[in-house]
Amino acid sequence: MKKFPVFKEFGANAVLITWENKIDPLVNNQVIVAEKYIEQRFKEVVLETVPAYNELAIYLKKKITPSLFITILKKNLKTLSLEDQAVAKKIITIPVCYDAVFGLDLERVAKMNKLSETEVIKIHSATEYKVYFLGFLPGFPYLGGLDERLSTPRLNTPRKRVERGTVAIGGSQTGIYPSDSPGGWNIIGRTPLHLFDIMSDPKFLLKAGDFIKFKPISKEEFERNKPKFKNKIHIIEKEGWHYD
Amino acid sequence: MIKVVAPGLYTTLQDLGRFGYRNMGVPLSGAMDQHAAKLANQLVQNHENTTVLEFTLMGPTLYFEKNATIAITGGTFSSKVNNTEVPLNNALEITAGSTLTFNKPIHGLRGYLAIKGGFKSENVLGSTSYYTGITHKARLEKGDTLCFTTEKNPGEIKVSEKMSPISFSEDKIEVFKGPEFEALSEAVKMQLLQNEYTVSSESNRMAMLLNGIGELSANEIITAPVQPGTVQLTPSGKLIILMRDSQTTGGYARVLQLTENAINILAQKRPQESIKFELLIE
Repeated sequence: MKKFPVFKEFGANAVLITWENKIDPLVNNQVIVAEKYIEQRFKEVVLETVPAYNELAIYLKKKITPSLFITILKKNLKTLSLEDQAVAKKIITIPVCYDAVFGLDLERVAKMNKLSETEVIKIHSATEYKVYFLGFLPGFPYLGGLDERLSTPRLNTPRKRVERGTVAIGGSQTGIYPSDSPGGWNIIGRTPLHLFDIMSDPKFLLKAGDFIKFKPISKEEFERNKPKFKNKIHIIEKEGWHYD
Repeated sequence: MIKVVAPGLYTTLQDLGRFGYRNMGVPLSGAMDQHAAKLANQLVQNHENTTVLEFTLMGPTLYFEKNATIAITGGTFSSKVNNTEVPLNNALEITAGSTLTFNKPIHGLRGYLAIKGGFKSENVLGSTSYYTGITHKARLEKGDTLCFTTEKNPGEIKVSEKMSPISFSEDKIEVFKGPEFEALSEAVKMQLLQNEYTVSSESNRMAMLLNGIGELSANEIITAPVQPGTVQLTPSGKLIILMRDSQTTGGYARVLQLTENAINILAQKRPQESIKFELLIE
């Protein structure tokens, strides 16, 4: 049996810590706990960190070598246990309008899975999704927890432009587009929230380790609340605000 | 102020990168050839992170409305002020009313223009580097106005060792083993390091694609961190070298990792130019 985590140099200025090779919330918890610890404990030498499913990249300042940092990490991470670092679970509710105006592929997702559209919405909005990490596009969350009943193959021909806020299903994953971009996932709805907005404070709605839940809203609610949502982002951050 | 008479093929403002937001999925960005960008700034006594103009293959045409001190570095673009050839890698005094033009470079791909004091540009998340979706502008357009400050930089400017331009004939790209290198078969490892590759025309600020891969391929991985200089090998046999605008995570096997200097050398390679990897022994 291989012993995890494994430490590797990643070029001349970075270290990579790798845990068990699978997409699993408990494996990812270890990544996030280690990230928090390293950020706090080694501010002096760490430039920034990037978590993913089962890995943590640590980009270092020039004043320390990766090999020296690995030696230090090995000593320190031994004493770090998950329990000590338990953090409050933060659930952020994301309002989604599943109306046909936005949910261009809702019918396709329903048909391919032999469900009604109402059932798709019900299943999609009943689950809590874990934000494993952000990547691909600024503010794009890699979410875990999609109900298998909603798995739908990607479109044969990707769309040239998918609108910001689009909620979609691609294979066994669900996601939210933080900005307009090309995309091949099945579009099932849209949120008026901005996951990433350089004009807001904070600029990013989600971070690795958060949980999200989708709440269905009507087209009228979407339109009526659109201007308000932007400003609500900071309330969510401070008070664990829920939309209702 | 400087008026953009013609923007060139692909011209952007860049500093040395947008650090601190990679965990939010924000690419680093920054000058592709950071050696040339730093050299340009050093020649006009700027801090090395001062915003410079980066242009690709076809430079812009610029009209100077004010006096300025500039330096042009990077690819060997023939540069003219009012139709008189001016030297590269030198501080140049430009008088108000002058027009600066470029011809295609004889060697290299990207040119840099630093201006004493630095260009003034929108600073988003701690950097002025253009990036679609982050900064309002993604590239320079005809009619744009570039502002620059003539105030002295705050603080002492540390003039480190004097830099010199890099050689464009270098085809060796120095690499470390990437995280998935050891998972490759011995035959694939050997071929990967012995092949002579050419740069594909499908290359940009995000990634450079290589031709001449042969039969190489590698399995996908669970999406994991990547950085500029990461060499990815795909299941369908593509070899991709991530550059400054690279995504922060990716799902292809990370077989090699370029040194910082190798990224700068590669940033100046044109389509069809050849390169070879040279593995550094750790």
